[in-house]
Amino acid sequence: MTTARSWLPLALMSTLIIALGAYAAARQDAFLTEYNLRNLLLTAMPLALVAIGQTNALLVGGFDVSVAALMTLCVVVASYTLQPDKPWPMLLGGAFAILGVGLATGVFNATLIRVLKLPSIIATLGTLSILAGASLLLRDHPEGFINIDVIDTLNTSVRFVPYAFIAVVVLAIVADLWLYRTRAGLALRAVGLDDTSSRRLGMATGRTVFLAFVICSLMAAVAGFYSAAQVQIGSPIIGNYALESIAAAVLGGASLAGGKGSFVGTLLAALFLTEIGNVLPLFQQPTEYAQMTIGGLILLALVLYQAPELLARLRTSRGGVGRLRMRAPAA
Amino acid sequence: MSIPGPESPVVLSLSGASKAFGAVQALRDVSFDCRAGEVHALVGENGSGKSTLLGIASGFLAPDAGTVEIGGRRRRRGSPAEARRFGLGIAYQTYSHVNDLSVAENLYLAVPKADQPSYRALDAWAAARLAEFKLDLPTGESLRSLSLAQRQLLEVVKALLAKPKVLLLDEPTTALGPEEVERLHELVLERSRSGVGIVYVSHRLPEVLGIADRVTVLRDGVSQGTFAAAGMLEESLVALMIGRPLQHAFPERDGTERPAEVLLVVSALRGERFGPIDLEVKKGEILGIAGAEGNGQVQFLRALAGVERPSGTASCNGDRLETSSPLSALRSGIVLLSGDRIGESLFPVLSVRANTTVQVLGRLGRWGFLRRRRERRVVGDLAARLGIRMASLEQPVQSLSGGNQQKVSLTRPFLRGDVKVILAEEPTQGVDVGARFDIYEALRAKADEGVAIIVKSSDPLELAGLCDRVVVMSRGSIVDEIQGDDLGERRIVEAIVGSRVVRDAV
Repeated sequence: MTTARSWLPLALMSTLIIALGAYAAARQDAFLTEYNLRNLLLTAMPLALVAIGQTNALLVGGFDVSVAALMTLCVVVASYTLQPDKPWPMLLGGAFAILGVGLATGVFNATLIRVLKLPSIIATLGTLSILAGASLLLRDHPEGFINIDVIDTLNTSVRFVPYAFIAVVVLAIVADLWLYRTRAGLALRAVGLDDTSSRRLGMATGRTVFLAFVICSLMAAVAGFYSAAQVQIGSPIIGNYALESIAAAVLGGASLAGGKGSFVGTLLAALFLTEIGNVLPLFQQPTEYAQMTIGGLILLALVLYQAPELLARLRTSRGGVGRLRMRAPAA
Repeated sequence: MSIPGPESPVVLSLSGASKAFGAVQALRDVSFDCRAGEVHALVGENGSGKSTLLGIASGFLAPDAGTVEIGGRRRRRGSPAEARRFGLGIAYQTYSHVNDLSVAENLYLAVPKADQPSYRALDAWAAARLAEFKLDLPTGESLRSLSLAQRQLLEVVKALLAKPKVLLLDEPTTALGPEEVERLHELVLERSRSGVGIVYVSHRLPEVLGIADRVTVLRDGVSQGTFAAAGMLEESLVALMIGRPLQHAFPERDGTERPAEVLLVVSALRGERFGPIDLEVKKGEILGIAGAEGNGQVQFLRALAGVERPSGTASCNGDRLETSSPLSALRSGIVLLSGDRIGESLFPVLSVRANTTVQVLGRLGRWGFLRRRRERRVVGDLAARLGIRMASLEQPVQSLSGGNQQKVSLTRPFLRGDVKVILAEEPTQGVDVGARFDIYEALRAKADEGVAIIVKSSDPLELAGLCDRVVVMSRGSIVDEIQGDDLGERRIVEAIVGSRVVRDAV
């Protein structure tokens, strides 16, 4: 059921996006231009996509730190399979190859985690190393241009809103409805909240966790397309998406302990994090501040979101079991 | 109650089921069946194999040998999902609730897909189901807001919602008061009359004899036979449950002339699942705590050790006891030997030496550096005294046997000079018979130094042999106290299974 707690992140992120936007618009004419807004939304695409994937991993109580390395590998692969002079059928095949890399990585991760029972953070750390090595093997320095027609297709927009962004918004809303309004969504949350009870209730917990990690990697691969559209060249160095995707999911309301989260919240948070990076240069501030701000915000958000639980815990420790007695009337 | 005739179909049958955990044979060639429309009780002491049997029936454990049939269908792969599909419902002793979800959502998850309402009608549907069972619970609230009794009743309701052919109830009344027990039994009997087979597992013999048609007794993993409940006496059941040869020796109690100096005073202590408890323990006394599992014994010990937060007061040696954290309890001289040795007490990958001295490193060092030679000498002496069998002092404790692990955790109170009270939780669980005596002797030696010791054990024989006095807990309160010539295994078991005490609102 939706409680105040689950709305808090959505409300906070929306407020912050609007507040920062209003401030920037009031101070700098450049902010509210169609050019800048389109740029902002396009820049947000890779993070939004990978963070939505990451939310899946967090919902089942895990992490996937290999997503950034996977995105990088996808960009590098794209610099081979999406080359400028290739005809459309080959480009289509190339796109599937990239998705294939994502699928394979997802199955690999999920197998390590679910079949071999490795903690997800360790398993994906290993995968990260393998993928990063593979990227460097394929391109030890940025090289190989990405097909400009593909980039243009990915970036097609209606006025300043990219179609892809509209698609992500729809995806997040549908995913949230699925998560909070259907049996399968409830089952996913139940598995994340309490694996043992879920198994006792006859749910296929193994399959749920497996799928969550596969979807996470697939989303990272899709995010790889938009990274490729941005860097436009086979670069083995792509941003710090592993941490940022976890940050966006957590700012959006996902719990590190599993079972709680919101895809819309994640999307809003991804948008906000990108907005920070977009606004700072307008004020001639170095983007290093963005990183520090983001770090501070994550800590702040974690404290804020957990405030109700922290307060409850504090009350218990003060008043002994007073609360318990209140809660459990004469049985 | 009429015993369903042999013509009633068998809804659950285990034949020749065996299961071993490591060297422990938990279940040995046990056959068990439950017919449609009967209540078949399963009794036995803690560790007699009841949980293992339920685990095998419900698909959580794979038997080493033997077969399981549910509703006439032979189980092929052991999975809880398959067992549910075949018509098995189970109310777990530790529940199958997802505490962060609402009551309605928990009910929803408990029914098969075909019976699930549309998600929008969830709350109305849940309210209707609860009304069917005359249970008044807020459907939209998370389970955390329910009392323990409400959660326990909900667990049974959840199992029934799936319309099982056979229903397994594992200790379904541990959190219930007498009236609620009555209600639960009405519910269960109603279902059994409509043809559901009920397997009822409980420690409480009066309850068992009040509701069951047949009773099967397990002892040390072996079935002692199945009997008609009508005409069965509690005493005969007790005899079947405990009738095993004496196999342990215990250290001598040092006579009766103990200085009557009271060391630990507990008054009106309450916490989750127990209380109020008033208790005094003398210097040099070993006090046993008996009771069926899950009656607040563990929580009580943990509250004293500062692991859980109680209300009420406790004092040690005249000073008020600080139980706000494990550290403050330790400073007051209270040491807890946790029952979960590997999980809570020891550092599994560290050596015997490091595990032994971890609490007293300051005393063994100089200028912040450990004096390794001195440390080795101290640990070596203790290891010899307690009879720890190991390859070397540097062997990681996780590779030791259970008994030797327990001895390693026992070394700590020996190294601290300031220990006044030792709380030992299942000190010989998973410990082979040979090593048990060493542990008993070590505890007795500590008691003779003037330390007060509280032993929580699920083994009545152990309590009878080791302790000077035993209190019995039921539903969080002390319901009986046994000492002197009265103190015997049989008397303790009778107190445990006969406990029918009105529970205070916890």
